[in-house]
Amino acid sequence: MNRSSIIALVILGLILAYFLSFGAEGTRKLQAGFYKVVSPFLSTGSGLKKQITSVSSGLQTLEELERDNTSLKVENRALKATNQALRDVENEVNRLRRALAYRERSVFRLVPAEIITRDSSTWWRTATINRGKTDGIEPDQPVVTDIGLVGKTTTVAENISIVLLISDENCKVACSVEGTREQGIVSGERVTGSVTPMLDLNFLSKQANLGPGPKVYTSGVGGVFPSGLLVGVVQSFRVRELDGQARVTPAVDLSRLEDVFVVTGRK
Amino acid sequence: MPKCFKRDRFVCISGFCNCFGFRISDFEFSTAMIFFVILLILTFIAQIVEIFIPPLEWMYNAHIYIVPIIVFYGAMSLPFPLVMILAFFAGFMLDALTAQVIGGRVEISLGWSILLYAVLAAIMHGLRPLFIRGRWEVHCIMSGLCTSAILLSQYLMISFRRGSLVFTREAWWQIGGPGVIAMIMAPLLFWVLHTLSQATRNPYLPDEEAYE
Repeated sequence: MNRSSIIALVILGLILAYFLSFGAEGTRKLQAGFYKVVSPFLSTGSGLKKQITSVSSGLQTLEELERDNTSLKVENRALKATNQALRDVENEVNRLRRALAYRERSVFRLVPAEIITRDSSTWWRTATINRGKTDGIEPDQPVVTDIGLVGKTTTVAENISIVLLISDENCKVACSVEGTREQGIVSGERVTGSVTPMLDLNFLSKQANLGPGPKVYTSGVGGVFPSGLLVGVVQSFRVRELDGQARVTPAVDLSRLEDVFVVTGRK
Repeated sequence: MPKCFKRDRFVCISGFCNCFGFRISDFEFSTAMIFFVILLILTFIAQIVEIFIPPLEWMYNAHIYIVPIIVFYGAMSLPFPLVMILAFFAGFMLDALTAQVIGGRVEISLGWSILLYAVLAAIMHGLRPLFIRGRWEVHCIMSGLCTSAILLSQYLMISFRRGSLVFTREAWWQIGGPGVIAMIMAPLLFWVLHTLSQATRNPYLPDEEAYE
């Protein structure tokens, strides 16, 4: 090994040692700084992805039109395109109307946010949203939709935040089961092979004997998540050696998240 | 562009490196640097693109990773110090984008991905004699294996942190799947990068081994 290689290795080793000495706060600051730098790229990428998706769905409509009668082809294509555009606008209006209504009737102070990326790594279930410090968002704030709980913020940069989804094993939420006195901790799976992940509700009593159907709400214990947020619906129950465990389907479809709200406090 | 002009532009950087023991001629250094900077930019773009590629549902949610292939090509076609800088850049980006700070602890500390990339890139650099002999298939296979090795290491680290080691079929697919995809993508990406490398007159290519 020549001299330059040894020098390169020594410098790399020193930098590595410096980085490995970072604590949680240092890592959070550095990560927030990095996200600040890459946030324009992420926003642009998110916009491009949406455009590509809309173009591909438009092409499918054209394929359908090709099968139609040749004399009506041109007219039909124009009508369908107009109709599709109007439907997109209608969906958008309905979605925003629902979001606005939820924001107004909610007892929480909510900051609306849009999902930029989701599930960008293999082992962590996270999403990034287009709101950050400048919008009053801080780490460990709950993220919800009008349907139920989505997760909580972890690292907050200036204009972008990382949301740890409830489907991640590290996101632990104290919950209670509707119609019972049962309380437990909901967490996600470490590895999931399906688009729709399942949640585990652990530390229930062995006698809970839950059937499919009861809803699971946050209990408010722990301080991060306020009580009464819908987490999911019990699918099955099994008794383990020391406790009972229920499988819970998340209330929110985490694979199709578009708009969320960050709970910044109570009204 | 006249050779002497290029030489003037890079003589300062080269001189700086020579102070620290880098014995690289000015011209060789400048041409290697052009390809190195291109690889850095490509690594950055690939890292951003990776974020937007959805996981493959039919492969148990396995992700597609492009960055390791670029880094491993760099490991074969650049001098060792530049390989380490490239590994540092890729590892730092991966750490900065994926580090999970939950409560008061970090799941995988900043720096581990840099270490992983550096070790694997050094292994790939060690296989350079095969690359010189034109045995690309070994590097394509190694790119897949190394991609899976990164994921396996991450999985082992988080398992250690979380206190239980669980290997399900999904976990194996999410470790092995990206490796298989990387193996399939590697020949095409290597060809593109090799073309770029030749276009920028990278002196570290097999044909011009006299520069080494």
